[in-house]
Amino acid sequence: MRNKKGSRLSPAALLFVVLLLFSCSSSNRLDGYLYYRLNTNPTTLDPALITDVSGAAIAAKLFNGLVRLKDNLEIAPDIAEKWQISKDGLRYTFFLKKGVRFSAGREVRAQDFKYSFERILSPDTKSPNSWIFDKVEGAKEFREGRADEVKGFRVINDYAFEIKLKKPFSPFLSMLTTAPAYVIPKEDVKKWGVDFSSHPSGTGPFVLKEWLPNRELILQGNKMYFDGDVSISGIIYRIIPEDLTAVTEFELGNIDVLSLPASAYSKFRDDRKWNKYIVSNSGLNTYYLGMNSSRQPFDNPSLRRAVSYAIDRTRILITFYENRGRLAIGPVPDLLRKWNIKESSRFLIYNPAKAKEIINKERLSGTKVFLYITADQDVVDLSEIIQSYLSEVGINVIIKQLEWSAYKDAVNKGEPDMFWLSWWADYPDPENFLFPLFHSSNLGPGGNRARYVNKEVDFLIEKGQYSISEKERNYFYQKAEEIIIKDAPWVFFWHRNDYVITQPWIKGYRIYPIYTMDKGTEISIER
Amino acid sequence: MGVDIKAYILKRLLLLIPLLLGITLLTFSLLKALPGDPVQGFVGERASPEIIESIRKEIGADKSFISQYAGYLKLLITGDFGRSYYTNRDVLTDIAMKFPNTMKLAFGAMFIAIPLGITIGYISAYRRGGFLERFMNIVSITGLSIPVFWSGIMIMLIFGLELKLFPPSGTGDIRFLVLPAVVLSIPAMATLARVTRTTVIDILGMPYINTAVAKGLPSLKISIIHVLKNAIIPIVTIIGLDFGSYLNGAVVTETIFGWDGIGRFTMEGIIKRDYPVIMGCIISGTVIFVVVNLITDVIYHYLDPRIRLHDKER
Repeated sequence: MRNKKGSRLSPAALLFVVLLLFSCSSSNRLDGYLYYRLNTNPTTLDPALITDVSGAAIAAKLFNGLVRLKDNLEIAPDIAEKWQISKDGLRYTFFLKKGVRFSAGREVRAQDFKYSFERILSPDTKSPNSWIFDKVEGAKEFREGRADEVKGFRVINDYAFEIKLKKPFSPFLSMLTTAPAYVIPKEDVKKWGVDFSSHPSGTGPFVLKEWLPNRELILQGNKMYFDGDVSISGIIYRIIPEDLTAVTEFELGNIDVLSLPASAYSKFRDDRKWNKYIVSNSGLNTYYLGMNSSRQPFDNPSLRRAVSYAIDRTRILITFYENRGRLAIGPVPDLLRKWNIKESSRFLIYNPAKAKEIINKERLSGTKVFLYITADQDVVDLSEIIQSYLSEVGINVIIKQLEWSAYKDAVNKGEPDMFWLSWWADYPDPENFLFPLFHSSNLGPGGNRARYVNKEVDFLIEKGQYSISEKERNYFYQKAEEIIIKDAPWVFFWHRNDYVITQPWIKGYRIYPIYTMDKGTEISIER
Repeated sequence: MGVDIKAYILKRLLLLIPLLLGITLLTFSLLKALPGDPVQGFVGERASPEIIESIRKEIGADKSFISQYAGYLKLLITGDFGRSYYTNRDVLTDIAMKFPNTMKLAFGAMFIAIPLGITIGYISAYRRGGFLERFMNIVSITGLSIPVFWSGIMIMLIFGLELKLFPPSGTGDIRFLVLPAVVLSIPAMATLARVTRTTVIDILGMPYINTAVAKGLPSLKISIIHVLKNAIIPIVTIIGLDFGSYLNGAVVTETIFGWDGIGRFTMEGIIKRDYPVIMGCIISGTVIFVVVNLITDVIYHYLDPRIRLHDKER
């Protein structure tokens, strides 16, 4: 009898023991490592090919360029110790620091920059980032195969490198802070070929130890790093597609730094225990409702203005968007705008009566327009709000929801009448929010998806790009922006703020306005 | 007989070739018919039209459908699945890396679903009309009707966050496997329970069971030798079907639990229009499905020698 009872109990006991053996949660952390979350696998870590934010943010920790951005968004030395710009604004001479080494141990020389930059322009690389260097002398000839080297990239000696431009181009130095302008070792590219992305060797504070696609990336601190000590052992990026899962992992202490998903924002904000660990920052971005300005009905600027009048963006920002951003009055983010546009901003205040008046005057009441959106729930909700505002002034919005890649294709081809998009800064210069987005040479995939064409704006943007003095530059940018606001190819919505929550044991974390600014050297773990 | 089975297996495997041709052609045409250009997806926001054109040329998107398909087949014959448009990684290597994870998940789910499903089915068949049957029915109907995305999140929150028994996400050893395997096992368990129940009820009414009872055989022996042996065919069919589909990845479960399997890989490929990835996953999925079905058929033969593997031929 006793025996029988014992045997009946044993499976349950066994199960319990097994459960105990297997269970446990937060003990699988590596000591001294910082845990981040990524929602998707980075596409590539080859600087020449990077186009996504997570790829660039990781590359920033593995590589360095000639120059980089300081906290106040000014340009600071990176591998270049100092630089000179000739008076005509054409020649940039960089003097490199000595003793900067690739992770394999070889010292970085000026030849490495020439190689890395020419690689971006080489037709074999098919780099989508070649625009960074297209103002360099001889870039076009090299890309078209008419020259063996780029004339404008000149090695003066091992530690001096010169870049010569075709025309003065004021944002150029800023562009050199972006991920594609990082230096890479030629021998490793030759060795790994297309797999260089999985074996990226740079000069950065971290070295890629392992990359398990769709799972995690492990970065290890680089003891040879030339610019300060790295206080953590390394960084682990865990790829967790589902927001709720990421939040759960954060609550369990398995993730140290979490970019707050919109769905979890109010939960942490209203929680006393957590709200002091939320870090926020004004992002360099602009969210907008684009209108296809090159065909009916939005080729009519009056109608575009009427759409701007018809939508109460302030209210949407406060209620729907939970105030997670700043109202946009033009395309250039407030942090980059060094001028005042009060005068022209009056075009943008919510005024449905005026919108109706314009629409009636133009006999456009009942106009049917297609608004293309992606499948993101946020965007779906927002598009319905826009639809209801516009129906009040007599514009019938038909929402067409597409999956992301079909959406992007349609928008690039100019199919929709209206579309919802955002633009994020690659480098902190107003030019980044004017030239790609509104210059007529960039229609469609180049950035100008509203297909806005205005010769005067083209002229002003170019003048700004070629001006050497900052004051002059800002003058032209301001004029261009004012015309754009008046022509209203976009309804300017907001500049989104970033919210990140960190664990109490994380010290020295801050959000940077541009993702490549975070080198991971200032953060520490104190637990 | 052994030779016959070998010939049968060989024949079935040979049939894979036309099947794969058909499937690749179908998938290829469907992919081309989809809106959305893969190149636009990975060139970022500022690529020049010339670069886009040269990439299109490189991946052959500028050629006619027929020559694209022929080019793909040519590559495939050499055992090359191509490289992902996005990550430039070899598709076959990635599939080989993720398949063991998917297999672990499928085995894990089956490991839970098979004993539980069969037991529940048996109990409800034997306790017909009783409280236990009603209870077991509720369990199996609930298991069938709860969507995985809900049960997944609930199980993660309860066992991962509240009870802290298992890590809520990640790919790794058995601790990481438990929660996704449990979630994935629920629908399979429920189906198995229902199928087992109806089959067992049918068998219990058979004259040979009455004979066995009349012979005075112990009831355990009856349920195992007489009932289970006769009920096993539909059970194996269900197991084979579920297992085959689990081996092709469980997108929702893998996404919720951050499990690095084929399902998520395929899904990401589809979302990004990463054609080589989609094609690679579909081809390997087809092969796996056919092989699992073949194994099931062979198992039928051994479980019930009355089933001939090549009836049609005779």
